[in-house]
Amino acid sequence: MPYKIVAMILAGGKGTRLEALTRKIAKPAVSFAAKYRIIDFPLSNCANSGINKVGVLMQYEAIALDSYVGNGEKWGLNGVHSFMATLAPRQTEEDAKWYKGTADAITQNIDFLDVQEPDYVLILSGDHIYKTLYNKMIDLHIKTKADATISVIEVDPKEASRFGIMAVDQNDLIVEFQEKPKVPKSNLASMGIYVFTWKTLRSYLKADEKDENSDHDFGKNIIPRMLADGNKMQAYRFQGYWKDVGTLASLHQANMDIALNRGELNLFDRDDITKIYSEDTYSVPQYVGNKGSIKRSIANQGAIILGSVDSCVISNEVVIEEGAECTRCVIMAGARVKKGAKVHNAIIAPEGVVGEKQEVNLGKDEIILVTGGSYK
Amino acid sequence: MKRVVGICNLHDGPDLGLLTENRPLGAVTFLGRYGLMDFALSNLSNSGIDRINVLVEKNVRAVRTHVREGQTWINNTKTGYMRLFFNEKSISTPRFNTDVSNLLSNRSYFEDETANYVLITNPFMLSSIDFRPFLDAHIASGADASIIYKHVNNADTGYLNCGSLTLNKIGMVKKIMTNAGMKKVANISLGTYIFNRSAFEKMLALSREVSVLYGIRKMVRYCIDEKILSLNAWEFKGYVVPILSLNDYVTQSMKLLDYSYRSQLFLEDWPIYTVTHNTPPALYGEKADVKNSFIANGCIVKGKVRNSIISRDVVIDEGTCVENSIIFTKTVIGKGKKLNYVLADKYVKVLEASEVTGDPDAFLFVEQGANL
Repeated sequence: MPYKIVAMILAGGKGTRLEALTRKIAKPAVSFAAKYRIIDFPLSNCANSGINKVGVLMQYEAIALDSYVGNGEKWGLNGVHSFMATLAPRQTEEDAKWYKGTADAITQNIDFLDVQEPDYVLILSGDHIYKTLYNKMIDLHIKTKADATISVIEVDPKEASRFGIMAVDQNDLIVEFQEKPKVPKSNLASMGIYVFTWKTLRSYLKADEKDENSDHDFGKNIIPRMLADGNKMQAYRFQGYWKDVGTLASLHQANMDIALNRGELNLFDRDDITKIYSEDTYSVPQYVGNKGSIKRSIANQGAIILGSVDSCVISNEVVIEEGAECTRCVIMAGARVKKGAKVHNAIIAPEGVVGEKQEVNLGKDEIILVTGGSYK
Repeated sequence: MKRVVGICNLHDGPDLGLLTENRPLGAVTFLGRYGLMDFALSNLSNSGIDRINVLVEKNVRAVRTHVREGQTWINNTKTGYMRLFFNEKSISTPRFNTDVSNLLSNRSYFEDETANYVLITNPFMLSSIDFRPFLDAHIASGADASIIYKHVNNADTGYLNCGSLTLNKIGMVKKIMTNAGMKKVANISLGTYIFNRSAFEKMLALSREVSVLYGIRKMVRYCIDEKILSLNAWEFKGYVVPILSLNDYVTQSMKLLDYSYRSQLFLEDWPIYTVTHNTPPALYGEKADVKNSFIANGCIVKGKVRNSIISRDVVIDEGTCVENSIIFTKTVIGKGKKLNYVLADKYVKVLEASEVTGDPDAFLFVEQGANL
């Protein structure tokens, strides 16, 4: 690459809407699609885009996430010109403080970025499911000499008031930013993916640090401030599948999109240049028993399927016992559905158990979470 | 502290016919995801032996592709290592390409090793075996070497051509014969040895005087016959899966579909490690119909599978039925096909023939990359 770029992945959020799934684990480390974790997606996207310097910002329940990402080896980020750093809040000479917002997380790591002397910084979120190469977006940023480029996706105009909306001119230059507007001026929603020219961003972060009224948030503070000051803000129209998996329902839906393989997000293409890398467990291949059945589903190694599985996502070391029936379930590692149990539209947490002959959520559309021993 | 160096001896192992034509036995796919040598390497690793020399007889690429830098099995990558030894000089003269000549040609590297004990194991006797109690027993005994064996009741039909041990009253090896299937009961060598370092090096040096055609196995027999090696015998009581022929490979693989056998080979606290291939989970289509089968990751199953072992990245298309078969990595089976009793090597394409059938006693072997 003729320029220097560092990706910073925001992975510190609590993810409260995922309920017990994130009680002891940061959202980006939550299991996804039978063998992945959510953060595999932005990290693999970086690797595939040739972005070899990545910082992962952590705060909430970072132990599992930190040990999972390790030195970045799973995504090839341990090569000679690459590295991955995990960046948690820390004590400094002046003080010790938590990350107060998305922008503050970057501000507190200005030293880290300065050492890299990047031309550009790519800000990513650790809890989005999508496959892409960031190169086109970066190229657009460079070509248009923008100060910031924001990845946007077209949403249903009726839904637009749930998002941060970008109003653009004929060149896709952003003219107005509306945070969850009652009357949206466009249907282009910000995806929380930004390319910044580092020098510009750095000065705004420094100013924001001193602003006591700021929430230190990119969407709420930095972007509106930069826009108000007349910086050149480019919208980049993202094409393809993208999902924020912040709720049980959206996490379930994104898993189903893959299990049913309707082509929105393909993990199975042999010649994929946007392949997602992950961890491999040391398990025997999955086994389907004499009375077992599985269709419209994905399953990871180590799973044992002795019952019936339809439209499910089955992680490693999951056991579906004889006579058990699972439909539209996302079953995470080590969970067990015991004999004769019936489960529908559920996410079963890691090591979760559905007891013998228990009937869970049958005939219901709402997605529920099952944890150890029982369900709520 | 006792220091042990492990040797995974890929010279030692039977010919599996077409399966080992272009790859060493150790690199043969097993149960859809392993290489046969994963068991030996994982046993060394789980036993805390972190310095492993892999003796490669041939097809260095296949071995190298499988083990890479060895990180999968090495606990500490600074204090531990995995090295591949092969004999450049003899690789084109198979008769002289023994494990002994391999070790001698890499003598400097082996001498560099500070271990006091050498543990040699092989890729064809599969088990989950903890070497530590055997090492302790060996060290306590004061003998030159030890051999690990299995007491079996089916030596008349199984374990043919393996070493059969005759023991003296105190359990030392008196004689090693080749099992010709004459007796049911026998003490069968698992081909796993523990040597005192000095005794091992003495034996390697002696081999040049005795016969350059002799490998470790034959040298041990020679030393026993000449009474120049005191050899303990320790019984392994766990489950052993011998892969001694192509037929064994097929029948033993199929047998492991049965949980009662599988649970004896794969123990809960004894992981068998293998390399990652970054494959996605297996995908089952709307009409997928799978019973009593192993399916590895990356497979796309749209058809019917019965009593089969399907390796990584295999495609089984709609209307197709694969029964009683072993299918290797990246094989593609098109729509509306019937496969029964087939052993398909990697990269096979079944797009033209509608029916491919072997015999229950002799699976039809389809060679790597063949189009049917």
